[in-house]
Amino acid sequence: MVLGLRKFTERSGDGAGEPVLDTANEEELMHVQSGVAIVLGARAPDSPGTLYISNKQVVWLSDVDKERGYAVDFLAISLHAVSRDPEAYPSPCIYAQIETGADEDVESADSDAECNETLDVSQITEMRLVPSDPSHLESLFDIFCECAELNPEPNEEREEEHNWIFSADLLSDDATMNEAEEGDLQWQLAENLGNPIGYSNGNHELAHSVLELRISDQRFDDADEMEHEVQDRHQ
Amino acid sequence: MLFFSYFKDLVGREVTVELKNDLAIRGTLHSVDQYLNIKLENTKVVDQDKYPHMLSVRNCFIRGSVVRYVQLPPDGVDVELLHDATRREARGG
Repeated sequence: MVLGLRKFTERSGDGAGEPVLDTANEEELMHVQSGVAIVLGARAPDSPGTLYISNKQVVWLSDVDKERGYAVDFLAISLHAVSRDPEAYPSPCIYAQIETGADEDVESADSDAECNETLDVSQITEMRLVPSDPSHLESLFDIFCECAELNPEPNEEREEEHNWIFSADLLSDDATMNEAEEGDLQWQLAENLGNPIGYSNGNHELAHSVLELRISDQRFDDADEMEHEVQDRHQ
Repeated sequence: MLFFSYFKDLVGREVTVELKNDLAIRGTLHSVDQYLNIKLENTKVVDQDKYPHMLSVRNCFIRGSVVRYVQLPPDGVDVELLHDATRREARGG
């Protein structure tokens, strides 16, 4: 996962058009908003520009400097908000906090952002998007919400899948198998479970499977031991 | 999933969400989804000296994965109900 903001220069056409998206990985454009200025950290606003929101990331491209553009993955946006308080920022805007992956240095990175023009954009922790027409703020906010929900944490899902496989209910169904076969079956399940929990299932199903994940500590202990046994047998 | 349903019951109540970067935001719980993404309305940053930029935002979407704690209204916790629900889940539904 790429955290933080990055420079973005790949434009379609003669370098004047839309950003080149990763369509091979099912990235698609969700919304385009022209007339948007971008403010990185405490730097001066950059404008005019156009905002491109895909189902994976937010891209801002300058309308004047074709070499200038920035992108940030939704996975790296910790929070976003509509800011209309003139004390916080003179113009109404979308405010976003960006996770940089260098949490300990967040404060020093911020001060860098204020005084150093040549800074590494990957250390930027705050971004403001200022539409020239503030009436677009609510719809932009809603699109940000929608896209954020399309990008749940990939690591957590993997972890949950893993726990699910070793839940006691699944094991008891195969009580008739001998232990070695049972172990193999678990590993096959582990490889075949393509769908992350919560994606393909209806709400009820989801509730059930997640419910199985949050079982008592004791059963989690058992599952852990079981996992070790399986690994031992495979060695 | 228990917490998802539980937080849904708290919609409309005042909560404080503490993020892993130590930012704490108080606001009215507008909605919550299955990933525990949280939407707050009429928010205020608890420690305003430290985060002056965030002073007040109308609505705010917080990514579930960056939440450390959610502070609940004391009367929003039905201990008995929660106790029963967790026990039911422990039995596998």
